[in-house]
Amino acid sequence: MEQEKNISREEGYEIIQRMLRTARHEVDNNSFYFLLWGWLVLAASVGHFILGKAGFDYPYITWALMPVGGIITAVYAMKHEKHKKVRSYVDQLMSYVLIAFLVSLVIVLAFMSVLQLYTYPIVMVIYGIWLFVSGGALRFRPLVIGGVINWGCAVAAFFVAFEMQLLLLSFAVLTGYIIPGYMLNGQWARKKNAIG
Amino acid sequence: MSNSEKKSQGFRELDPLLHSALRLAVVSLLAGVRSAEFSFIKEKTGATAGNLSVQLGKLEKAGYVEVSKSFKNNYPCTTVSLTDKGLSAFGQYAENLKTYLTV
Repeated sequence: MEQEKNISREEGYEIIQRMLRTARHEVDNNSFYFLLWGWLVLAASVGHFILGKAGFDYPYITWALMPVGGIITAVYAMKHEKHKKVRSYVDQLMSYVLIAFLVSLVIVLAFMSVLQLYTYPIVMVIYGIWLFVSGGALRFRPLVIGGVINWGCAVAAFFVAFEMQLLLLSFAVLTGYIIPGYMLNGQWARKKNAIG
Repeated sequence: MSNSEKKSQGFRELDPLLHSALRLAVVSLLAGVRSAEFSFIKEKTGATAGNLSVQLGKLEKAGYVEVSKSFKNNYPCTTVSLTDKGLSAFGQYAENLKTYLTV
């Protein structure tokens, strides 16, 4: 664009439209976090269930994957932040929601011994909040639906035995994280291709 | 049509600072994001670095944008964001522009 170029009113309107559209397209690919945590929790819960059935002494060892997830999340987020040239309001909201989610999760898991059988239902309530708010911010319905499914699984989990809770948790992350995560990734790739 | 005739027909004055292709593009782009790096604005507007610097300086002087300088991977990095005054001026400009397009 040339310096001090005079524009007509129609051109002014066109510039505003074009630039606002450009800003709207600058949305990050947020699917990484949903896929990472989805697969980690699925592996941990299914692994716990199988090892428990097999009579293994420490079936809960599978949850050691969670701190690994925390480290990967922190490293990825820091690396990703460094390369970002633009920060949208949605990105900012997503960062705060992710931090709120992780802090809440750590608090609940730290008091597992007090909460006992109520731990996983409460964990699923927290999952539901993250998915529902993220889905709303990204205007991505599968995540919103995933959040509702997680809340449904949380309610059901209050009434069942521990082993069944593990299966409910597996179902919750599969439908709330993994499937919407791949759909979100696909949507982002299509948008990226369309913009060129 | 003279300025007085335009005013009597409901037309409103357009902010001369924003009624320029590059400055309007920069402010419109920043209105949709929280902040953006200089290189991003340059890429999206297609402006030269020199021209963009000059126009950003004018917008900064008017209090429409905030320019902050830092280092990223050992390289200088300039980040720009729209101020409340800039956002309000942009909103007013868009409103006034509507009077020309709809009358």
